[in-house]
Amino acid sequence: MKPGLITLRLLLMGILPVLTNCASSQKTAPSTSPTTASAPAVKTEDAVDELDDYSSTEVSDPLEKLNRATFQLNDGLYNFVFRPVSKGYVFVTPKPVRQGLDNFFDNVKFPVRFVNCGLQGKFNRAGLEFQKFGINTIGGLAGFIRLSDKIPSLVAVPSEDTGQTLAKWGLGHGPYLVLPVLGPSSFRETLGYGGDYALNPIHWGFLLKGDTNTWAWIPSTVNTIRSLPGQLMNYDESRKNSVDPYLSVRSIYIQNRNSAAQE
Amino acid sequence: MNRRSLIALTLTAPLFWGQSLASTAEAQQRLRTAVDEVLAVADRVSSRSALATTVRPVLQRHISFETMTRRAVGPGWKQFTPDQQKKATQLFTTLIIRSYSSKFTPGERPSINYQAAVSPAAGRVDVPTGLVYKGSRYNVTYRMEQEGGSWKIADVVIEGVSLIANYRTQLDSTFKKGGADAVITSLEQSVSRPS
Repeated sequence: MKPGLITLRLLLMGILPVLTNCASSQKTAPSTSPTTASAPAVKTEDAVDELDDYSSTEVSDPLEKLNRATFQLNDGLYNFVFRPVSKGYVFVTPKPVRQGLDNFFDNVKFPVRFVNCGLQGKFNRAGLEFQKFGINTIGGLAGFIRLSDKIPSLVAVPSEDTGQTLAKWGLGHGPYLVLPVLGPSSFRETLGYGGDYALNPIHWGFLLKGDTNTWAWIPSTVNTIRSLPGQLMNYDESRKNSVDPYLSVRSIYIQNRNSAAQE
Repeated sequence: MNRRSLIALTLTAPLFWGQSLASTAEAQQRLRTAVDEVLAVADRVSSRSALATTVRPVLQRHISFETMTRRAVGPGWKQFTPDQQKKATQLFTTLIIRSYSSKFTPGERPSINYQAAVSPAAGRVDVPTGLVYKGSRYNVTYRMEQEGGSWKIADVVIEGVSLIANYRTQLDSTFKKGGADAVITSLEQSVSRPS
């Protein structure tokens, strides 16, 4: 199946709830994070002082039991499979090469950001993404060098993805979900992940051919391995100094996604 | 609204406006001082554990750990005895300082770009900054609050993730399961676990 078709189908799935729920879509916008001034999500009786606007429940988690089990399973997988692979990769690959690969795969992901800028009506940002892609691909040796960092307007363009588009369209998180291997997510973000997957050129070989006997698996495998050190660092950072690692990862994930959706 | 109160409001509005501008600038200046002092300490020490002990008095001057602990615990706080509140604050302070200093690598200096501060409520100013550390870029917002006449840091929001909101989720759930004792025990466990 062509990637375009998959994306379209996923996007239609995303639109449906919005279409059927037009009137209230404004109100289901992503919940307010503590940094925003508007209407705090906290119940007044839960506030400990006048300026307290923190909420203790950032997402509904009816599947907590199952999620905690998956969380444990992933934890084992990360520590006993991914961590050794990541260490091996860091050991054999010099830092400039790792940085180059990170830049390359980030540059290749351009369609994910570009299409989602467009779907959210952020055409100015789409233009910036286009400039970035052009500069890094042509001037930055196929994206291995982030030449665009030398241009102030292109240094910090917030990156858009399908999950953020769905949020912008008024879709709420739905229940929190811990995916096997992939980790924290929600119903909406899982849908978004499907969209990102289809929009990322490194999967197009897979999606077009649909078999694993060709070269098609190479780019996504390299991408997975090169992303491990960063992912594990984030994971460790979320667990470290926590009281309940499961809740800490959940809170960090949801807060971060809400803030990305608002940018 | 009657005419008189409308006039009164119109006349005093610039006053409030001016006041909030002044306090915004004051809060931002206070944050800069705090950051500079912490960086000066960080420049002198050579290890993470040394930083945690040296930086403690400096942070205690600029961070409102009492407010942070109260909000991190949440609604259960009112049921803590004064002793339990004191104990929880001590433990939480240690935990925060440790998690702060664990992000630090000796010899690496962050570059911080301060952006325009906003005041979402009276007595509160949010200062967004762009932080570049070890080649990575982070959005960090400092939440400043007025306490006893001076401005103090009441929360740090990194990439949209509020430190206090993160602990609120965890500690509120712990309180609901086992009350104040459970909160203190779990904080003790976190502090004694090697970072």
